[in-house]
Amino acid sequence: MLTYLKWGFRIFLILLVGGFLHYTLPQHDIVRITNAYNRLTTVGANWLFYASPDTGTAEGTETRDIRFIDAVFADGSVIVYRNEDTGWVWPPYFKYDSSNLQAEAQNSKSSAAAPEWVSVTHYGWRFPFMSIYPNAVNITPVSGPDDTSVPWINIIVLTTLAFLALMIRRMWLQFRERAIDPVLADAGEAWDSVDAKADAARAKARGVFGRIGAWFNTWRSPPRR
Amino acid sequence: MGGIIRLVVFGFLALSVVYLIVTVYARSVRRENLEKEFDAGGIEGSRDAFIAEGMARYRHSLRKKLLLGVYLVPMAVVAITIYLVNYQ
Repeated sequence: MLTYLKWGFRIFLILLVGGFLHYTLPQHDIVRITNAYNRLTTVGANWLFYASPDTGTAEGTETRDIRFIDAVFADGSVIVYRNEDTGWVWPPYFKYDSSNLQAEAQNSKSSAAAPEWVSVTHYGWRFPFMSIYPNAVNITPVSGPDDTSVPWINIIVLTTLAFLALMIRRMWLQFRERAIDPVLADAGEAWDSVDAKADAARAKARGVFGRIGAWFNTWRSPPRR
Repeated sequence: MGGIIRLVVFGFLALSVVYLIVTVYARSVRRENLEKEFDAGGIEGSRDAFIAEGMARYRHSLRKKLLLGVYLVPMAVVAITIYLVNYQ
């Protein structure tokens, strides 16, 4: 039972961290942009997947003017991105040029007859059920729908995270070796000496008179350590 | 404007915490290495004096390296990110 719990917890943790990284790290899509517009959108229970509001708003739902970019993949499936500024704190993209990006998207609109393929750098998930959209960060023209690119940022970020995890583990081990273990060893020795004293006292208090004498002795001040 | 201020304040606090932790770790490792070096033999003088002198010398070089690494590197990363995201 406990093994199931342990493994279940570990798998849950891996899914959580993996999902968080998959949402936050940038990805590239090769698409053809079909439309760029903005639309009043109500942000309610899915507020977590939108940028934080610019001004303080009432609780519950709020309606905002959000820029969207429609695009279509080479195989015909469609996707809709939103184009919002990120805050200055999270996610750490420091994006504040969404107006410019919208203009670039307008400029890259093309039809199926004369397609213009672009690579959209984005983060986030398109999950229609919750009305959440990935946030487009950059648009770069590419030569064709078969273009591939190496995800440099993802490689750097994941390598740095792995390095940090390793360093934290080493710091913890060093701390345990230098600070905690010696104290525990001392505590162990202290307990052993208390045990030895108790055994010596018990040995002295044998027999009826031994026990009475031992009790009288407790009225005296305790022996110095 | 408030966003930038929040980033700077929280960033400075978080980096200061990182600085403290890394200082403790680096000094602990250095002290352990000094102890091992003395115990290996062949060094004259008292153990405590040797370790104290080694730690005092280490303090200067560590501070420089740490200030650079812990404060400058994240600032450079943020600056590069801002450039790559906004000025393509």
